[in-house]
Amino acid sequence: MIKLKGMYDSMLRCIISEDMDATDFSKEFDEVRGQGKRFLPGAKVVLDFGARPLSEGLILNIMTDLVWPAGMYVAAWITYDAATQDLLKRIGLPTSEPSPSARANESAKGGSLLLQRSLRSGQRVEHAGDVIVAGHINDGAEVLAAGHVTVLGRLNGLVHAGYNGDETASVVVRSMEARQVRIGTKIGSLDRDERWWGKMVIVRVNEGSVFIDYWPVIKSDSRDESAGARSAD
Amino acid sequence: MTARVIVVTSGKGGVGKTTATANLATALANMGKKVVAVDGDVGLRNLDVIMGLENRIVYTLIDALEGTCRLNQTFIRDKRIENLFMIPTAQSRTKDAVTAEQMIDVCDELRKEFDYVLIDSPAGIEAGFRNSAAGADEALVVTTPEVSAVRDADRIIGLLESMDKSPIRLIVNRIRPRMVKKGDMLGVSDVLDILAIELIGMVPDDEAVVTSSNKGEPLALSQSAPAGIAFRNIASRIAGADVPFMDLEMSDSGGLFGKIRRAILGH
Repeated sequence: MIKLKGMYDSMLRCIISEDMDATDFSKEFDEVRGQGKRFLPGAKVVLDFGARPLSEGLILNIMTDLVWPAGMYVAAWITYDAATQDLLKRIGLPTSEPSPSARANESAKGGSLLLQRSLRSGQRVEHAGDVIVAGHINDGAEVLAAGHVTVLGRLNGLVHAGYNGDETASVVVRSMEARQVRIGTKIGSLDRDERWWGKMVIVRVNEGSVFIDYWPVIKSDSRDESAGARSAD
Repeated sequence: MTARVIVVTSGKGGVGKTTATANLATALANMGKKVVAVDGDVGLRNLDVIMGLENRIVYTLIDALEGTCRLNQTFIRDKRIENLFMIPTAQSRTKDAVTAEQMIDVCDELRKEFDYVLIDSPAGIEAGFRNSAAGADEALVVTTPEVSAVRDADRIIGLLESMDKSPIRLIVNRIRPRMVKKGDMLGVSDVLDILAIELIGMVPDDEAVVTSSNKGEPLALSQSAPAGIAFRNIASRIAGADVPFMDLEMSDSGGLFGKIRRAILGH
C-alpha cells in the first residue's frame, strides 16, 4: 500500500510499501491521485521505496501513472537498493534525501524587514528573515540576515546573508562597492578594479564558493550607465 | 537672550574642529552677535591657543562645575572683538571630570547671556563627545575629503541623529581643488553622496590656517585668505543669510584659489 505523510518545508513523503505486490501499483496510484487531487498538483514529494528494487519499466510506470498525472514535483527518489540507486542516478534523478532548508524556516520565523533609510557607519541591523534596505549601507554599517538581503542603494558596508549557515541566501545590490560579502559560512571578496565594482549585482553561493554576477539590466535602465561612468572618472 | 547652542564635532581627530570653532565664533562675533566658544575637550584643550587667549586663563569650566568659581568668572573676553568670549577647560583633568547633566546645565545658563554658544567637541564617540553634544540643539560636523574622515563623520552623524540634534550640517574642510580635479581626492559631491546631510560650507586647504593657529589669530579676521572667507560665509549661513557656495571642485580654472585670487587679488 502507499501512504502520504507531511514533512518539513511543506514537503510530502510518499511511502511505497516494500511488501506491496507489483501488480497492485496501478490501482494504488489511482487511489493516491484521488486522495491528493487538491494538494498534490505542484507539491514537493519525496518518493520512498524502502529497499524495493525498481526496474526501468516500473520507473516509467511511476512517471506515467503517478508523477505526471498528479502534477507533483519529485524532490527525491529514495531506495536502499544499490542497483536501483545507480539506475536512478544514470537517468539523472535525485536520489539523496533533501535537507531541511534553514532558509524556509527562518524566513517563516522572521518575515522580511524593510528599512526605508540608509544605514550609517556603526549602525547594525540583525534580522531573522530577509532584509530589504531602501537606501545605502555605508562603510562601517552592518546588516545580518537569516535570509536574503537586497540593497536598493549602494553597498559600502558589511552584509551577511544567511547568518545561520544558510547558503541558499543571496545578496542583491544596486551598486556594489563593498570589499567583502558574507553568505552562510562563506566569505566572498571583491577588489575595486574588478568589473562588478559599482554595478548592480547578485551574490550567491554555488558549490561552496561565493559567486558574483551582474543583475540583469533592462534596456531602459540608464541609471546603471551613469553609475558606471561615475566610477570610471 | 536665547542662544543657539551648536556643537562642532567630527569623530576623527585632526580634521579641523577646533579651527572651525574658533573661526566661526570669531566670524559670528564680528557680525555683531554675542558669542561664546566652549572648549569641550577636557584634558586636551586647544581652543585657547588657537584663539590666542591661553595666557588669560584663570578659571576653567571644571573649576565652575566643582564650585570653585561662578560660571561667568570662567569667561575670557577676546582681545580683538568685544562680544566674543571663550570658556577654557582644564588640561590637567580627563573627560570624566564632566557629566552630560552638568553640560546641559552649563548650556542652559549660557543661553540666557549669548546669541551663540559654540562647543568644540573632542574627537571620538565616547563620553567626551556625548558630554559636548548633550546640551546642544544643533550640530556642525567637520570632515575632510578622506575616506577615513568621511566614515567617522558618518558614524558621528548617526549618533547625533539618535540624540535628536537638528539641524546637523556639514563642513567639508581642507579641500584641494586641483587634487579633486585630478581624481586624487574625494570631491564635495562624493562626500555629500555618502553623508546625505545639508552642506553648510566648503573650506579650501590653506597654509594660512597653520600660521594663524600658531599665532592665535583666527583666519576669519583676514580679508584675503580663502579659508577665512569660507569660514565667514559659513558664519553668515549659520546666522540665516543665503550666501551662494563657491565653486570649489567643478571649476576648470584652478578652483576656488584661482577664482578668489582673481576676484580679490585681481590676478
